[in-house]
Amino acid sequence: MKILQALGAWAEAVFYAAGRYPHLLIEILRRIKRPPWFPQLILEQAEHVGVQSLPVVLLTALFTGMVLALQSYIGFHRFGAENMVATVVSLSMLRELGPVLVGLMVAGRVGASFAAELGTMRVSEQIDALWTLSTDPLRYLVMPRFISAIIMLPLLVALADAIGIFGGYVISVFMLGQNPHSYLENSTLYVELRDMYSGLFKAGCFGAIIGLVGCAEGFYCQGGAQGVGQATTRAVVFSAMSILVSDYLLTAWLFQ
Amino acid sequence: MTTPKIQVQGLKKSFGDKKVLDGVDLDVLPGESVVVIGLSGTGKSVLIKCILGLLKPDAGHILVDGEDWSTLANDEQLLRMRRIGMLFQGAALFDSMSVWKNVAFALLQQGMGNKEARTRAGEVLELVGLHNVEDKMPAELSGGMAKRVGLARAICHKPEIIFYDEPLTGLDPVMADVITRLMQRLHSEFNVTSLTIAHSMMLARTFGNRIAMLYQGRNLKQMSPDELDSCQDPIIRQFVEGRSEGPIHLQGNRT
Repeated sequence: MKILQALGAWAEAVFYAAGRYPHLLIEILRRIKRPPWFPQLILEQAEHVGVQSLPVVLLTALFTGMVLALQSYIGFHRFGAENMVATVVSLSMLRELGPVLVGLMVAGRVGASFAAELGTMRVSEQIDALWTLSTDPLRYLVMPRFISAIIMLPLLVALADAIGIFGGYVISVFMLGQNPHSYLENSTLYVELRDMYSGLFKAGCFGAIIGLVGCAEGFYCQGGAQGVGQATTRAVVFSAMSILVSDYLLTAWLFQ
Repeated sequence: MTTPKIQVQGLKKSFGDKKVLDGVDLDVLPGESVVVIGLSGTGKSVLIKCILGLLKPDAGHILVDGEDWSTLANDEQLLRMRRIGMLFQGAALFDSMSVWKNVAFALLQQGMGNKEARTRAGEVLELVGLHNVEDKMPAELSGGMAKRVGLARAICHKPEIIFYDEPLTGLDPVMADVITRLMQRLHSEFNVTSLTIAHSMMLARTFGNRIAMLYQGRNLKQMSPDELDSCQDPIIRQFVEGRSEGPIHLQGNRT
């Protein structure tokens, strides 16, 4: 009996937590059709999500591209297919590593700050105060963050793709002594535009996940400073996990 | 008889199996100041949050000017919030904005121009006795100043009804007196209706036209300060005199 009870309580907690995300999403979609949209706030958040994430994201992409070139060179070298390094680097950056790594980095940086900021506003009653000043907190706080995350993630990923491929080029050409001309040709030869689009589409989905999870954790936060801490942790963990799981699902079903 | 400005009827709210409000009835007449007193954790804040629509009541009605607010859609209710001002216990200033933007927030959202809104914010800040703080950030303010800015924000859009959530908590006696006088002045000059929750008897006596005591999820009685002093109800007597022995069951687990 005890075990069943514990199991029930656990399931209730899980479904309660999981129910918050769709709930918030529905609330956002209900509002998004009609103004006000607060374009000024969307811009502010876009700067926070996009511009300020640039150093982290680009550094990650650069080193990923570099290490990718090194590693695949080691593999291909064993059966003399070194010229395939370029293709592997650009394909995996565009289709997979660009969106996923940027998604994870932004989840850590931005998702956490969404949760902490909204959570603090919740526990210090600032969200309630917005309501009493006839401003819908969901519109004013959540929607700009959600929208700017969806817009900025693909843009970040596009830049990260370019930098990652550039990193691979630098390593291959200057360290591994490949021919620069044929490297560039191999980079594009087997790559289709579809590969890039699929990566950018994924990035948009990851942006939505980061925005939704970060905002939901903060917006529904309870229990003072400790609650804010837990919300922040959950925001990072849940959004990172959802990014990885949805990455598999998107790849398996949409972009084979 | 005039219609009450605020009418709370049979309001019930529980969290899980904790019954916080269990059928509260309360009337606030136009231009009146009602103070709700009660032990910590008897649901005073929950009462205000239900009236404001921040919490959905489980049962009961909330009528403002005879209109039922508990059944309104979100947008409708937000529009009606323009008639409301609220001073939060911790002032709840937006810490990403300067003081004047905080104060003029409602006006800015309603589309007033920056210059005009700033002038208006300056006037209201003057009214609460603050000078040259317009460009400060909330983090630079002391507790008393933050409270006064919060008060300025609550009255900047000229509301008809002001709610005060523990307006004197955490203030030194001098500042408490300053705030009380301010509240009284607002009340007499602008003819607003106010509903205050407090556990300070001093505030209840000086500011309340009528006082209601919440106890175990219900309100016991609404009475004038004089009636309160002569009231023989043992629970009310114990609270008014601030004794730890008596018929009140202290429930430590209620929040």
